[in-house]
Order: sequence, then structure tokens, then C-alpha cells
Amino acid sequence: MATANDAATSPTGPETTGPQCAIEVANLHKTFASRKVLDGVSLAVNRGETLAVLGRSGTGKSVLLRVIIGLVRPDIGSVRILGEDIEGLSLDRLGDVRKKMGFLFQHAALYDSLTVGQNVAFPLVHHRTDMSKADRDNRVNELLAEVGLENALNKMPSNISGGMQKRVGLARALALDPWILLLDEPTAGLDPISSGEIDELILKLQSEHQMASIVVTHDLHSAKTIATRLALLDRGRVVIEGTFENLAQSEIGLVKQFLKQS
Amino acid sequence: MEVRSSMSRFGATSLLPSAIVFSIVQEMGPTITGLVVSGRVGAGIGAELASMKVTEQIDAMEASAVNPYRLLAATRILACILMLPLLTIGADACGIFMGWLAQTLVAPISLHQFIDSGFRGATLSNFLPPTFKTAVFGLIIGLIACFQGMRTRGGAEGVGRAATNSVVLASLFVILADVVLVKLILVIFP
Repeated sequence: MATANDAATSPTGPETTGPQCAIEVANLHKTFASRKVLDGVSLAVNRGETLAVLGRSGTGKSVLLRVIIGLVRPDIGSVRILGEDIEGLSLDRLGDVRKKMGFLFQHAALYDSLTVGQNVAFPLVHHRTDMSKADRDNRVNELLAEVGLENALNKMPSNISGGMQKRVGLARALALDPWILLLDEPTAGLDPISSGEIDELILKLQSEHQMASIVVTHDLHSAKTIATRLALLDRGRVVIEGTFENLAQSEIGLVKQFLKQS
Repeated sequence: MEVRSSMSRFGATSLLPSAIVFSIVQEMGPTITGLVVSGRVGAGIGAELASMKVTEQIDAMEASAVNPYRLLAATRILACILMLPLLTIGADACGIFMGWLAQTLVAPISLHQFIDSGFRGATLSNFLPPTFKTAVFGLIIGLIACFQGMRTRGGAEGVGRAATNSVVLASLFVILADVVLVKLILVIFP
């Protein structure tokens, strides 16, 4: 089985120019009502690198992803995507930045009134207006084949399993050839075989597309497989960040407990 | 039929077709259409968008760099604005037909004669402003339903609340807007 480090060392990718640091978040703070969710989070992810964000439920992992893509505004702190600070960007400019990012939601968030094929085609229909219908259909078939769902083209999201929905979500996230991929619990609620398949798929994409990825997960095995670095979040703060070996050697009680329980 | 018995007391049954046509076209048709659409379409839009919101479909749209307000809200509001006057014309036609049916059951009269008598002396200014004021009702229904749907929180309970609030608020504001618009029409077209 390939590992994340093999993928990260692959020198080729569709885009090799532009800033090396793809995602840079600095001193993020976010409070909902009186609950502090992010408390000074700082992280950086380079191109071709995958950072797994681990932590207990409710420690702000999903909120961190939402802040990065601009769905939630931080109270304090900055988010730089491919060198550009997204705070204060106009909606159109923020849209341009988002086109370079793919986001897989925890529950896939497929459009339930559209078929699988239409879901995958959605970003193409809206942003690749120069693409002919035939080219678009080919691209959709290609993406579905990449996630192993070429036969699900005309199915409705409600008629496919949770694992398949996640794959469709991933295909949709990849439709615009993003530079950055944000995955919110890609293997949560899946059986071990489906989880393994999703991990393999992410590794394949990493090596083929040289994307910068942040994966929020509870699944330590998955994180170990796909991530080049891991960060453990607790109460809105990064407790430790480094390779799996760094975490394994850590003397921090919470890190030891997390690794032991996982 | 009740109006007929009241009017017959004053010997004004010959004015009944005009009374029916004018009351339907000027007030009952637009208002009832507005209230029916508030209930039917307002609840539908509110619940649909709320359901999309709680299942993160609207967030997914934003994450895909597609403006959900433009794609989901603007199109629905525009559809409401355009469809309300058309539905009102349909409702007016049905109302007038039913008025004739009720009239003809008591005192037989041909439809042609009923319409001829009902529209006698009428001008376009009697009919166009009340019909087109429903475009404002459409704007109100669309805006309220989209707003309620897209700001929903809290799962299935939130979806139900959005649908209920859409209907209640849209109906209330349609009635309030009607009062203002009738006054405005009377000022502009005395």
C-alpha cells in the first residue's frame, strides 16, 4: 500500500507554479455564543502535503475547515490561500479563490434534487461555461470512474449508500481540478473496506494532482495512511503538530491518551 | 347569493354582475390569490430552502463558488413576481365564472349577458392596477420564504419552523401590503 510520504515526494503535478505554501492560517479565534471553538490556531500546509487534523468531537476541527474556505468568518486571525488573504475579499474574488479549492463535507452534502452525474457536473456547469456538453459529460464520466462510480451516473443521491455519497462528494470536489482539498471526516461512518478505499483514493489523488490537503478525521489509522503531518486539536488549540512518529514519541498526556484510545 | 338577496331588498339586482366582477377583480381575486400562494408556494420555498440549509447543500454551493442567493433565492423571487399576476388573472376568471353560475342558478342569465353587464362602464384602470399589485405580493412572498428558508438552523424542527413562519409572515404582510396598495391605487387612479 502506498503511503502519504510516497505521494508527497512525487515531483510532478498539473500545477507546479505559484506559492509553495497553499494554506496558512494564523492565530484563528472563533466564538459561537459564549463557546470558544477556535482559540489561536495557526497552521500551514504546503503544496503536495496532507495535514490530518485530529481531535475529539467538538474541538473545532470542522469549524477550522469552514473558516479556511470562508463559510465562517473568524473573530480574529487570518487565512491565506495560495498567498492571498481571504479576509475582506469581495464575493467575486472569494469565489475565484474557492474555485481553486475542493471541499468534501462530512455528510457529502449532495444536491438531493440532482442525479449523481448532475451533482458532479454542477461546478463545471457554473464555472466552465466554455466547455461543450460532450466535454462536460466526458469529464463527469472520468471523475466518476476515478472514484469507482461510473455506473451511478443517473442515480439519485438518496438511492446510493453513505460511502458512495462520500465518493460522489469527492468527485464533485475534484471537478475543477483544485489546488487545495479540504476533507471533513471522509471515512466517518464507513465500514473498514470503504474507509480503506477512500484512503487509497486520496493517496492516488495526492500523487497525481499534487494538491495541498487538510483532512479532518477521528480515524487515526486513516490519518497515518494519508497524512504527511498530523495536528491534534483540543479546546480550539493545536496541542501538537508533526509526523506520526513525533506524536508517538510525545510525552503530552492528551496525545498519549488519544493514540492509546485510537 | 347572499349579496343577491341583500341587493334585491334595495331593488338593485341589475347591478349584481357589476358588483361581482368589480369585487372579484379589484379585491377578492388578488387578495385570495396572494393568500393561497403564501400558503402553498411560501411554505414550499421556505421548507425546500430550509431543508437544503440544514443538509449543508447551500454551504456546498457556496464552497463551489456559486452564489446561492443568486441561484436559489433570486430565481424564486422572480418567479413569484411574474406568476402572481398571471395566477390572479386565472383566479379572477374562475371567480367571475362561478359568480355567473351562482347568479344563473337563481335567475338564469347567459354568460355573455352577465359579462357584458358586469364590465359595462369599466376602464383598464379599474382592472390593471389591482392585478399588477399582486407582483408586489409575489415579491413579499418570495423574499419572506427565501429569507426564512436560508436562515434556518436546527434540523427537522428548523425546517418546520421555516415553513410555518414563511406562511404566517407572508400572509400577514400580503394583507398589510394590500391595504397600502389599495390606498395608493385610489390616490393614483381616483
